[in-house]
Amino acid sequence: MPKPLIGLAAGVALLAALPLAVPFMTFVVTLAVAKGFAALGVALLLRAGLISLGHAMYFAIGAYTTAFLMQKTGITDFAILVAASIIVATLAGLAFGAFLVRYRAIFFAMLNLAVSMVIYALCSKLYGVTGGTDGLRVGVPTVFAWVPEKAAFDTFLLYATLGLMLVLGWLGHRYLKSPLGHALAAVHTNEVRLEYLGVSAWSTLLTAYGISAGLAGLGGALSAMAIGHVLPEFAFWTESGHLVLTAVLGGVGGVAGPFIGSIFLELVHVVAVGVAAEAWNLIIGVALICVIFFLPRGLFGLIEGRRGKTGGTDL
Amino acid sequence: MRLPTLRSLLLATALAAAPSAHAADKPASLGLGVFTFLSGPAAAYGLPGKQGAELIIEQINAEGGIGGVPVAATFVDEAQGAEGVISEYRRLAESDSVEAMIAALSSGNCLALSPLATQLQMPTIAWNCDTHQLFLKDASSYYFRPNGNTVAEFVAYVVYFLEQHPDVQRVAIINPDYAFGHDAASIVKAALAALKPDVEIVAELFPKLGAATYQTEISRLSASRPDVIFSNLWGGDLENFVRQATPRGLFRQSTVVLALGETVLQSTDLPEGTIVGVLGDGWWRSPDAQRIGKAEAFAEAYEEKYGSYPVFPTMKMANSILVLKAAYEKAIEANGGEWPSQEQVAEALKGLTVETMTGDVTLREDNDGVVDQVIGTVGSEGDLPSIADMARFDGAALLPPAGEDPIAWIETLTPAFLEGQPKPGSYQ
Amino acid sequence: MLQTVAPLLMDALANAALIFFVAFGLTLTFSVLRILNVAHGSFYSIGAYVAASAGLFIVGAGLNPWLTYPSLILSAAAVAALFGPLVEKTLVRWTYGRGEAVQILMTFGLFLILEDLQRMVFGVNSLYEDTPMALLGITEIGGVVYLNYQILLIALAALTLVGLRIFIRHTRTGRLLHVVVADREVSEAMGIDTGRMFTLAFTLGVFLAALGGALATPTTGVAPGLGAETMVLAFAVAAIGGLGQVEGAALAAVIVAAARVLAIYFAPELDAVAPYLVMLVVLLVRPYGLFGKAAVRRI
Repeated sequence: MPKPLIGLAAGVALLAALPLAVPFMTFVVTLAVAKGFAALGVALLLRAGLISLGHAMYFAIGAYTTAFLMQKTGITDFAILVAASIIVATLAGLAFGAFLVRYRAIFFAMLNLAVSMVIYALCSKLYGVTGGTDGLRVGVPTVFAWVPEKAAFDTFLLYATLGLMLVLGWLGHRYLKSPLGHALAAVHTNEVRLEYLGVSAWSTLLTAYGISAGLAGLGGALSAMAIGHVLPEFAFWTESGHLVLTAVLGGVGGVAGPFIGSIFLELVHVVAVGVAAEAWNLIIGVALICVIFFLPRGLFGLIEGRRGKTGGTDL
Repeated sequence: MRLPTLRSLLLATALAAAPSAHAADKPASLGLGVFTFLSGPAAAYGLPGKQGAELIIEQINAEGGIGGVPVAATFVDEAQGAEGVISEYRRLAESDSVEAMIAALSSGNCLALSPLATQLQMPTIAWNCDTHQLFLKDASSYYFRPNGNTVAEFVAYVVYFLEQHPDVQRVAIINPDYAFGHDAASIVKAALAALKPDVEIVAELFPKLGAATYQTEISRLSASRPDVIFSNLWGGDLENFVRQATPRGLFRQSTVVLALGETVLQSTDLPEGTIVGVLGDGWWRSPDAQRIGKAEAFAEAYEEKYGSYPVFPTMKMANSILVLKAAYEKAIEANGGEWPSQEQVAEALKGLTVETMTGDVTLREDNDGVVDQVIGTVGSEGDLPSIADMARFDGAALLPPAGEDPIAWIETLTPAFLEGQPKPGSYQ
Repeated sequence: MLQTVAPLLMDALANAALIFFVAFGLTLTFSVLRILNVAHGSFYSIGAYVAASAGLFIVGAGLNPWLTYPSLILSAAAVAALFGPLVEKTLVRWTYGRGEAVQILMTFGLFLILEDLQRMVFGVNSLYEDTPMALLGITEIGGVVYLNYQILLIALAALTLVGLRIFIRHTRTGRLLHVVVADREVSEAMGIDTGRMFTLAFTLGVFLAALGGALATPTTGVAPGLGAETMVLAFAVAAIGGLGQVEGAALAAVIVAAARVLAIYFAPELDAVAPYLVMLVVLLVRPYGLFGKAAVRRI
């Protein structure tokens, strides 16, 4: 078995075993991996040199889809909720993306921010639909015919989330290695040359944008189930900033990066809450700047660098 | 460096939080998780609550604690949002360092925590939030609210200002833009429609929570020439609004009703005639508080410790902890003197009646509290914060029956309802 | 007719004046440095905190209350002098030519740090200091009472706009800035100290943000979270005007303010959405803003 696979297996085993020792970790790990999906979505776009300051909106759209379906239509099946959230977020991503991916650089960042702030404002304003600033409650979903207790569902959710991470991580890896994935990186390095080769930058980016929105939506749906409540804050611009931060911290060179970043952040948070709750933003702000200065390929770059690989993607 | 940081960190966390055995043996201390706003604009309201908890716990411990066990509180900041609040609640509950919770201040957090209390079987007292939606959706056997709810509170305010200003024609509303504000607006509108159908609502504004400026809202209110302006802004927002509206003459032009006005009596110069009060009965200088005889000493001790007199969130918090204390004492007695389990504490809370520092509270069958409402008018100033022309409304008379749609209940009221209600100045 | 329109107009202008300075600073920084400073809103709130604290000190020490006026400006200048050169020379300079992602992340990191530092230094309670407003009294317009301070603020915003136009177009330093904006390499070849120009432009941007915050304190409260809120509003204004377009920012501030005022008067439920809806509509029609020009695609 090649070395990276051993590392992967060890990491996943550790994540799976941790909650057995510390029950509270079920929640932390689930949330970390769920947010990792959204960060992975952001990382895909970063590979194309596009920075989105609005991706928290797809996270929120996924979360609200789950909450809304459960509360207003009575659909409680886990698989349907997750699938519906991904579909709604992807469709929203394709709809907004069709217009957004025409822009680059700061204009892309800013337009994403603009759209996300409208979504944020709508979530807090459409009192009747979204519950306003109180948000919506998310009950305990069912899994096919199984109607679990909250605690049992939490355990199920953890392992389902880890399973999804492996499956989607592998698919994401395949995607990045596919021509479409390579075209994505080519948009970053030389967009015009790409078009001379007969590849449409617009459709390449729109595909990536749709996928990234879907991933964020999945993260939102899983988080909604773990937390049991959805709120407009999910879509606030600082949340989008945190997603980018997570992706960069972990590294955008491979699919593992955003997950590593997310898990690392959540674990540091658990420790920091007890010791330095006041300085949490300060700590991650300093960490972010240090990563930009010294680790352009993120935490993932550390592991990768050890294997002597070169040519990984940095910012 | 190949991931050692991550692994050692995981290990360290695992060791630090290793589960301890759970038993109903008498613990060394009674761990209490207390949730309130410690930062942001809402801290202006949340901090007096925290200080109230600190002081009452200090006093309880000085008298030997609860059932001989001293109380130790862990404070959690609600300003971190529901996600952080929920994960802190879970962390505290599952680490077994905490036996009961006082949570939370904001209605949004209460709505998010109440199902969790049942799942984790954690006796929890909502110390402040008052949304009437809390117990409408699902009953919880571990979540209790020994406070008034929005219906009783705001119907009382409408009754009060209709009694004081019977000729009111034009009413404007400015409430914060979230459930608490929207709920209050619909209650006020429904109550006015039922009690004085010819009143016109001339403006209905919902500024964002934590808004820095209200200047445009003030122009809009001023331009619509209302007789009465109703507001349930609170915390830093209320102080901000009062400071911005006073120089612009809004208080001269209209009678302003500030449902949470008692909290800014000390920090702003509220003009005479402004209708203010507390939510519930937590006015520490009320006649009942003086009759019971504990609030004044508490307020003096509070002033000595923190430099200002308590506001009603302080009293609500202290009263909530007194309710929990009473529940523990009842449970210990029922348990033959043994330390009770969390289930037994929750059982003891059901239907409990407690005399707090400011009046009686009864938890009815849906775990909602029945509390009187104290409302008054800003009078001439003295050394101590004061409220004149007070009325004390019977909580039970203003609360819709358990499980009934509150707005539909309000619509059943008629103008005759006013006659049976206490008049301004009747509470002395 | 005038009775109803006058307050609307007055409110829109007063509102525009409040957001003009900070949006103007953001757009100025972008026009020279080509960098979107995500921490810009933090300089606004730091300016507000420092000005409010200084005002409280002056009143508390029993000094002449009119001193609060120079203290507003001096507070902003102090914030700019402290943060402008420091941040530009250490963090921002490093990101030139490294792509937008790095620039945005760097300033986002700074934003996070500044948010916590403010809480540590100024605490979590709201600050109020309205002496400058109280000194000036009130005026009635269309049956609605306005503060003379609001009128002063509108005049100050207009003066600043005119003053900066003169500075950029008609002074030596201003023209040098213009040259640097037009072509960095050529201006360096001609011996212009571009580094100094960048520091100057960034500091000026910080000053405008801090000034906006300081001038807002007499009519608003200062509380944690103000920076993040202001940031998006400034963003919206700068984007509507066209990033880097100075006159655009002024017009956009009026448009955004007018949208909010109209919302509060006629459709209160749209109040919070209004600035972003305007931004979205404008950007849909003119993606680079009202005054903006499309960026050239690189090969």
